[in-house]
Amino acid sequence: MTIRRTWWAWGFLAAPLLAYGIAVVWPALYSFAHGFTDWQAVGGGDFVGLAQFRRMAADPSFARALVNTLIWTVVGVLVPTVVGLALALALNRVTRFAKLIKSFFFLPLALSLVVVGQVWFWIYRPEDGLLNLLLDAVGLGSLAHAWLSDPDTALWAVMVAWGWQQVTLAMVIFLAGLTSVSRDLTEAAHMDGAGPWQRLRAVVLPALRPSSVVVISLSLINALKSFDIVYVMTGGGPFRQTETLAVLAYRVSFKTYDFGYGSAVSIVLFVVSIVIIGMFFAWNAWRDRHA
Amino acid sequence: MPETVLATRPAIPATTAAREKGASRVPLAAALLGFAVVFLVPCLGVLYTSLKSDADIAANGLWAPSGSLSLDNYLQAFSVGGTGRYLLNSVLVTVPATAVSVALGTLAGYAIAALRPRFGELIGFFLLAGLFVPPQILLIPLFQGFNATGLYDTLWPMIVVHSGYGISLCTLVMRNFFRSLPMELRAAGLVDGASEPRILASIVLPMTRPALAALATLQFTFIWNDFLYPLVFTRSDTLRTVMVGILQQQGQFSIAYGVQAAMAVLASLPTVAIFIAFQKHFIAGLTAGAVKG
Repeated sequence: MTIRRTWWAWGFLAAPLLAYGIAVVWPALYSFAHGFTDWQAVGGGDFVGLAQFRRMAADPSFARALVNTLIWTVVGVLVPTVVGLALALALNRVTRFAKLIKSFFFLPLALSLVVVGQVWFWIYRPEDGLLNLLLDAVGLGSLAHAWLSDPDTALWAVMVAWGWQQVTLAMVIFLAGLTSVSRDLTEAAHMDGAGPWQRLRAVVLPALRPSSVVVISLSLINALKSFDIVYVMTGGGPFRQTETLAVLAYRVSFKTYDFGYGSAVSIVLFVVSIVIIGMFFAWNAWRDRHA
Repeated sequence: MPETVLATRPAIPATTAAREKGASRVPLAAALLGFAVVFLVPCLGVLYTSLKSDADIAANGLWAPSGSLSLDNYLQAFSVGGTGRYLLNSVLVTVPATAVSVALGTLAGYAIAALRPRFGELIGFFLLAGLFVPPQILLIPLFQGFNATGLYDTLWPMIVVHSGYGISLCTLVMRNFFRSLPMELRAAGLVDGASEPRILASIVLPMTRPALAALATLQFTFIWNDFLYPLVFTRSDTLRTVMVGILQQQGQFSIAYGVQAAMAVLASLPTVAIFIAFQKHFIAGLTAGAVKG
């Protein structure tokens, strides 16, 4: 029976492994190999060792993209997570119209980043965008400006649009997690005279640990991939100030068709992703052991 | 767990303290409702813009209130903007890619969790690793591969890539699901002399319906909303999926905001509809994915 079982296991695994091999493993390995060549879209390339990586080290748009990606993975993950948690805690207390209110908040999750980017592009429009209109209306018209074409604000403006959707993601997962917070335990803490803040810290937040791991891992993965929304809102500009590594890899590969350099940039993006997510998991495991 | 996500909390015992607490929650609900409306201003904005005429927008600005609303932009989106073609392309990509990725993930997850072959956990880990692979690293080789096989600028690249790339998430969710499933029924099937595919098809699969629904909802949303692959793997306007099609509009009719908004609404309708219908499943899928990963 064991033999038959194993045989079938491999039978079941064959098709998934093949598809995964074609769509993921083969291309990833291929890119890894070609990051060490001067491959152009037209006319092949030769092995050049680490030349593409040295080129990257001297490339200011790479430095910018790396910094932007790091900002995005820290601020772009932490802020929506905290806001999402606060919203979830508030929503969890609502008894009236709870279902309706939650449905409203869930809606952005169904939208594509292309649509999200397009709407926020309209919100930021300098002449008749909603943000500048609102600032004008409350007498802060002096603050109004071209959010997406000012290098100082463009990245943050894009991150706000992205965060708007991420808040929803965090909130949804925290709300699901809150249903597992023991009401008895919360009640008991209440009877023991624990205030709302103490109950939150001693009972609710520890129970939400698994949810926060999910939220942060998903947000990190999304942040590291952030491409669509930048492409739609700024195209990486102004002056490439909003390029992330994902956008840079795309531009180098499919605008200038510099495949060798594009492969090298995507290798760096891959390594950065693994390091950041690996660090998060390691920190998490460490906390589990010392809890 | 998913059932309880949306359930309101049980009624609070009618002690004085509790009643006060309940009363204090009405303003909270009102405040949150208000905040929800503010939060949804971007969505409402697109919806509103899609009903305004371009002349109106040009004269009064994008966000100005308007007296005359109509569905003209939607008709235009189909007649001039080619939205029908874009939507059809999206369906032709999303439906098969969702089905294939979920099917393959089910096979892999079942094999790893229930049949436990040697090195099964290792293979599981190998398949899950794809979650951390940024799509950018796959683009150049796939672009070259699709060019070489004549599949570039067809709908096939998106179907192939989503089917394969989606396996990571699908395997993760299904493996976790099968682990939580009691396997006595499988043993009973084995004793009765049923073959493994038969056991999977007639005993196990009927029990997996909730997990499959969650996963399919999630995958449908991801694939429908994808922008990068169709951007890279297609070139002809007639082969664009709707997410790329929306942007195509930007260049061609640089001031047709109303039509653009109508296209955005149309492009969002399928995922929003699925989301509203299967909200429970969608959330279950999101949380099931990584909880035990």
